[in-house]
Amino acid sequence: MAQPLVKKDDDRDDEADYSPFLGIEKGAVLQEARVFNDPQLDPRRCSQVITKLLYLLNQGETFTKVEATEVFFAVTKLFQSKDIGLRRMVYVMIKELSPSADEVIIVTSSLMKDMTSKTDMYRANAIRVLCRITDGTLLTQIERYLKQAIVDKNPVVASAALVSGIHLLQTNPEIVKRWSNEVQEAVQSRAALVQFHALALLHQIRQNDRLAVNKLVSSLTKGSVRSPLAQCLLIRYTSQVIRESANTQAGDRPFYDFLEGCLRHKAEMVIFEAARAITELNGVTTRELTPAITVLQLFLSSSKPVLRFAAVRTLNKVAMTHPMAVTNCNIDMESLISDQNRSIATLAITTLLKTGNESSVDRLMKQITNFMSDIADEFKIVVVEAIRSLCLKFPLKHRSLMNFLSNILREEGGFDYKKAIVDSIVILIRDIPEAKETGLLHLCEFIEDCEFTYLSTQILHFLGIEGPKTSDPSKYIRYIYNRVHLENATVRAAAVSTLAKFGAMVDTLKPRIFVLLRRCLFDNDDEVRDRATLYLNTLGGDGAVVQTGEDVKEFLFGSLDIPLVNLENSLKNYEPSEESFDIYSVPREVKTQPLAEKKAPGKKPTGLGAPPAGPPSTVDAYEKLLFSIPEFANFGKLFKSSAPVELTEAETEYAVNVVKHIFDGHVVFQYNCTNTIPEQLLENVTVIVDASEAEEFAEVASKPLKSLPYDSPGQTFVAFEKPEGTPAIGKFSNMLRFIVKEVDPSTGEAEDDGVEDEYQLEELEVVAADYILKVGVSNFRNAWENMGADCERIDEYGLGPRESLAEAVNAVIDLLGMQPCEGTEVVPNNSRSHTCLLSGVYIGNVKVLVRLQFGLDGPKDVAMKLAVRSEDESVSDAIHEIVASG
Amino acid sequence: MLLAILVSNSAGNILLERFNGIPSEERLHWRTFMVKLGADNLKGARNEELFVASQKSVYIVYTVLGGVCIYIVGKDEYDELALTEVMFVITSSIKDACGKSPSERLFLEKYGKICLCLDEIVWQGILENTEKERIRRLIGLKPPNPTEI
Repeated sequence: MAQPLVKKDDDRDDEADYSPFLGIEKGAVLQEARVFNDPQLDPRRCSQVITKLLYLLNQGETFTKVEATEVFFAVTKLFQSKDIGLRRMVYVMIKELSPSADEVIIVTSSLMKDMTSKTDMYRANAIRVLCRITDGTLLTQIERYLKQAIVDKNPVVASAALVSGIHLLQTNPEIVKRWSNEVQEAVQSRAALVQFHALALLHQIRQNDRLAVNKLVSSLTKGSVRSPLAQCLLIRYTSQVIRESANTQAGDRPFYDFLEGCLRHKAEMVIFEAARAITELNGVTTRELTPAITVLQLFLSSSKPVLRFAAVRTLNKVAMTHPMAVTNCNIDMESLISDQNRSIATLAITTLLKTGNESSVDRLMKQITNFMSDIADEFKIVVVEAIRSLCLKFPLKHRSLMNFLSNILREEGGFDYKKAIVDSIVILIRDIPEAKETGLLHLCEFIEDCEFTYLSTQILHFLGIEGPKTSDPSKYIRYIYNRVHLENATVRAAAVSTLAKFGAMVDTLKPRIFVLLRRCLFDNDDEVRDRATLYLNTLGGDGAVVQTGEDVKEFLFGSLDIPLVNLENSLKNYEPSEESFDIYSVPREVKTQPLAEKKAPGKKPTGLGAPPAGPPSTVDAYEKLLFSIPEFANFGKLFKSSAPVELTEAETEYAVNVVKHIFDGHVVFQYNCTNTIPEQLLENVTVIVDASEAEEFAEVASKPLKSLPYDSPGQTFVAFEKPEGTPAIGKFSNMLRFIVKEVDPSTGEAEDDGVEDEYQLEELEVVAADYILKVGVSNFRNAWENMGADCERIDEYGLGPRESLAEAVNAVIDLLGMQPCEGTEVVPNNSRSHTCLLSGVYIGNVKVLVRLQFGLDGPKDVAMKLAVRSEDESVSDAIHEIVASG
Repeated sequence: MLLAILVSNSAGNILLERFNGIPSEERLHWRTFMVKLGADNLKGARNEELFVASQKSVYIVYTVLGGVCIYIVGKDEYDELALTEVMFVITSSIKDACGKSPSERLFLEKYGKICLCLDEIVWQGILENTEKERIRRLIGLKPPNPTEI
């Protein structure tokens, strides 16, 4: 018998407290689901149980694999019932359960039956469910029905098939693309929603075919699109066409009239979409912009918050590029400052700050002050950033803007907000000299009551740099010295350094600073005492008014000029002993292969140029490094450096990779080594290279690595001579040779005596691709035609059976080591032929262009036609040789 | 893409949630974010008054309908105006299913019907149907009126 889901209760007072799902439990509901197996189905009861299951799922509850399977099998039994309401629930339930591939088969036949049913609604729902749970194989079976459904006269069936198509396009694009004729027909449908869905699908199918999209837009902009939603889509596609054709067509902008016409559409959604599209046009003129701004201005005073938000958001963006165009809206915008929706208010303020003129700044600041107290930090940060830009734009207004910033600095707020304010004040002090002294005093007042250590230390550091250069540096001392009394050790240490800077830079203050620093000698923190001692001993003069030497200033406050990571590592490895730490022993080369990254699977080694402290580009960095080594200094200009090639497996004792540096007549191997054993110190590290399989190469120099402590990468080099200008290739076997010394883990000291040892590394190859630089061209066709056919060489090759066309294309690209142009390295799925364009520079600085035409010959065999053009026919031949021997 | 539809009661307890394309580990974050948004702004709001917010590249439109709060999250083509359209369809269908703006209890009583409505309105993140009459007929597996195509 059916149980009512909801208890009928006459007492309506406790309505709010009563939930029909009160105390619902997954286990109990799963038990109840057994009712689906009853021979005499009770549709009402079954619907209630499904509702409960849906409630659980919609609350974020998950079913285990076994539970889901059990429920799924039970639900499939419900197909026996003819009850319409229950059937509708069953469809939803199957979609929610999304059964696995092996379970789907149970329900396929029932759904297929529904899909071909005479009842339209069964058809529509079955299509949706099938498409949700289907895989590629099943899809080919039902494809015929889906194509029919797209052009079904019932709009619900057509929409169901079209929306299915949108989803299936992600997983089975090759199948859905075959439906374009039917979809094209559906775009002409009289039913508004069918047209909307068909347009979306058709565009997705053809989005890579510029001409087809252009044609679609041209035809639809002339005709009538029925639903506002479809009209919005059309506006978006139109802007895309305009963007893409902007470079090729001169004169009037195509389709602008259509966009402008949409500004008069009856649906707000369409008006807004058109206005936004116009504002985002490349190089939009004021004449084009004006009608769009006018409708957006009307939206600003709309009673609907969503419209106000949309309008102010768009105008905010326009204000970045065309502030003058937005000034007309300023009055409406000002009234939005008091908008209840804080997002709207913030956007209005930041827009006004961008468009306002100098005379309106004070009035605006007054309004913002009232507004700041009741918005969240994230909005406040946006406002602070906008005020910073405004101040840089109108430096004469620095007084009121700086006052505003200092006032909000005193109010409550989180770290990010306070940091944004402090950063802004610092930038203003740097850029506006007149703002310096007031700005510094604001910062001083802030650190008197600052709860963030990070900000306090940053401000103290900044005060140390800027304070001594002011007219009266002594007035800052009180604020700084207060920190020594009141703050934690980190801030105290920073304050000591700042005091010392004042002492070093302002000679008249030195005696008084010495008195203060001496007091810091009794601090209870080591670092604070150490700093005070260091400064007292190095500043000199014993507290007298004497000038501090430049070398002392440089020593104390100058930049270290070595990568901090290296310094940190060296300090960690330094063993306290009689011998003091030598800063010159810190390697200046930027770490090439941090241990953590080496261990992370799939992560590429970062190379020399990656760390922030690193030089501007990898090649420059390598060139600098190699030229600093006398043995390689006369090798000439570096042609190419390869990406690092790993010579060891991940997580081995010693991690070694190699970079191949190609010169005209030489090759240098740079072995980047890392010792991953804390108990070992390696010394005199070299790589013994056997070049017996590289006949054209002769070893000319080797530069060993003196010492390789734990986790501190170092480099050793081996150089070879090779015939000048030719792409000599060969195989090299490598053996790492070193003296290993045991390190006592408790003291970190290495034993005096070491043992010579060797470690086998993987082989290394110099290949033809090492002699070609990847250099792209912006327009391949032009470059190809300019190069001319004088040195052209064309030939055909059979590449044999290959996994796929894409695999063959990639193999040839890798073999040649050239730059793919115009995205031609990507092979569309299921293509039978493909053209790939490559460009590069061959050793000797000879430009080379390559056109590869691939075709499938039989089921797997790939044939390739290779056309090479270069400035030198011997280079064209060389490229053919590389391919022929590859 | 419509990333999420959430319905909570006025105290912020989730009654119904549907996510599309949001990994399960991020759902808690969204849930909390939206409930906080509601707690901050929906107090004293008029019935069906629309609120809007944006967070990075996504948009959120939310409202109060009787005793429940509804939140919709969208991105790309589902911007604030498209979401308004979706919200209108959802609120009118829920009212249709419940006969009026629902209290929390009424919403739960009509839970199954509301699930069916949502199933017709949004399908895996894509807006499918927009007319409440049509949705009412569809959830009963009846074809739409030929006049309102």
